Amino acid sequence: MNNPAPRSAPPNGARWLTQALEAEGVQTLFGYPGGTIMPFYDALVDSQLKHVLVRHEQGAALAANGFARASGRVGVCIATSGPGASNLITGIADAMLDSVPMVCITGQVATPLLGTDAFQELDVFGLTLPIVKHSWLVRSVDDLPRVVADAFRIAREGRPGPVLIDLPKDVQVADASHLPAHVPAAVEPPPAPAEQAIADAIAAIAAAEKPVIYAGGGIALGDAVQALRDFAEASGIPAVLTLRGLGALPAGHPQSLGMLGMHGTRAANMATQEADLLLVLGARFDDRATGKLGEFAPFARVVHIDADAYEISKLRTADIAVPGNVAHAIRALHAAFPAPLAHHAAWRARCAHNREKFIARYDAPGKHIYAPALLKRLSELAPADAVIACDVGQHQMWVAQHCRFNHPRNHLTSGALGTMGFGLPAAMGAQFACPDRTVVLVSGDGSFMMNVQELTTIARCRLPVKIVLLDNSSLGMVRQWQELFFAERYSEIDLSDNPDFVALAKVFGIAATRIDARDDVEGGLAALLAEPGPALLHVGIDARANVWPLVPPNTANSTMLESNPAHVSQETPNAIPA
Amino acid sequence: MQYRLDLVLHPAEGALLRVIGMAERRGFAPRAIHGAPDAQDQGRWHLQLVVDGTRPPETLCRQIEKIYDCVSVQVTALGVAA
Repeated sequence: MNNPAPRSAPPNGARWLTQALEAEGVQTLFGYPGGTIMPFYDALVDSQLKHVLVRHEQGAALAANGFARASGRVGVCIATSGPGASNLITGIADAMLDSVPMVCITGQVATPLLGTDAFQELDVFGLTLPIVKHSWLVRSVDDLPRVVADAFRIAREGRPGPVLIDLPKDVQVADASHLPAHVPAAVEPPPAPAEQAIADAIAAIAAAEKPVIYAGGGIALGDAVQALRDFAEASGIPAVLTLRGLGALPAGHPQSLGMLGMHGTRAANMATQEADLLLVLGARFDDRATGKLGEFAPFARVVHIDADAYEISKLRTADIAVPGNVAHAIRALHAAFPAPLAHHAAWRARCAHNREKFIARYDAPGKHIYAPALLKRLSELAPADAVIACDVGQHQMWVAQHCRFNHPRNHLTSGALGTMGFGLPAAMGAQFACPDRTVVLVSGDGSFMMNVQELTTIARCRLPVKIVLLDNSSLGMVRQWQELFFAERYSEIDLSDNPDFVALAKVFGIAATRIDARDDVEGGLAALLAEPGPALLHVGIDARANVWPLVPPNTANSTMLESNPAHVSQETPNAIPA
Repeated sequence: MQYRLDLVLHPAEGALLRVIGMAERRGFAPRAIHGAPDAQDQGRWHLQLVVDGTRPPETLCRQIEKIYDCVSVQVTALGVAA
């Protein structure tokens, strides 16, 4: 039977919204239909928007999240009311904590039914209050123009983040023929920092003998990557990077001491512990970066530059507070320090020496595939502009330690929320944002199973995502903590009943291979990257492997373990100079 | 230590919840609330919220300032809670 030609959607709220999304520059959105959002899906039929049908709403939120992280554009996701809306929540929270711009649209029961416990009624407005920059329950179609303009403006401006529009069904079907065409609102950049604050920062740098740049996620968010590179190279000041700052200085840059913190490099942690000045650029003294806060950078004065004034002196009192536009502030510092200062020379040399002295080694004993070496090789074989997404756990830290990032947006990691299941949908979103680039997902067997259903979306959309699945048949990071901090009392970490991941991938129509021997790494990675479509490389690794170095929780960053102290004591010698 | 927050809020759905929730989540327990929409000020809420906490109140103020429904917030130290 022939399908009748589709009729145009009526000029209602839903249709106005699809046109507004187009006017905002949205091309791709991720979602899953259901009862209360059906008018919007009806309007999609006549829209230019590309809707990606995921297989779980959490996949939609995390795909929009990954899309936004990789591109810097606003990610958009959509779901129905009730469970559809609640399934978005983890992805929204993840975006809030990592400052990812997203517009999340949920259907809602019609306004006369609000507050009656109607079918699939859920107060998603109330549920998400703490995890959004702002939100609206739209009670009149006349409010749509203001709400949509504010939603995209707020998601983008200042420190980015997610917003939520809860849209009752009667508002979607209400006549919108009288509404004006949507005009996006202007986004104002953060204000320039106060001149006196910049002058104070310049004086502090000039007076310091051991300055360190401590750069975080705010560098990419503030479009300050090039400004940072110019300033660092001109001033010669050594730099440490947070998990979300990786790539702000390109991998291998001689001034980059690598990541600081719990799984940071020894050179980075030693530098911060010895520094007499921390130049904090778009970072927020996260506990995974600082270790025991009271013992973090004990000799350092703090210059804190951030677009979000709230972050300044939240955890560590700033001696010099510089709220405002990060890129502007860094360019001002660059102008003041066009060349390295002579009295920083000994410090620069010490940091450079430590960088080489404590460089990672890849000659691990044993026969198992050594995940750090595999990831280092993956990073070398992949194109320089490849996007590497990861999940959460041991492999996430190995990616941070051993993959080479040339820009922070090339590294998709759930930094603050630590969302297992983040990686697969985030990689999917990134591939939509960057269709011409290689997108690699590095996952673990625990995380991978949390959103494994999105393999179907990847296969259906023919997204050429390359998946490296590191399988230790356990919850590795939990196991590592139980080994180190819970007297080897292992509790609920065994995943040895995992499915056959190669067979599983093939069921979804995705090419897959398994490797278990070191000699197979080179060929396995090369074959994976050469696949024209989606592909999975299942990598068996040693279940006893741990992530090193490690700073035990609530301990100063000077205490770095290189192995289990219950087995052999190899704590960092001379982390803080006598 | 108790503090009084003098707040002006847009008369938007969720504005009260956002402010009270923010204070609680950032370590300040609400002790008293007084206020109403002011017809002479575009219906904006003029609210006094007394909170008790040990963290710096300036930090809470900066966080509340980030709430889009917040027009203004001022903090006054009231002393040690009884």
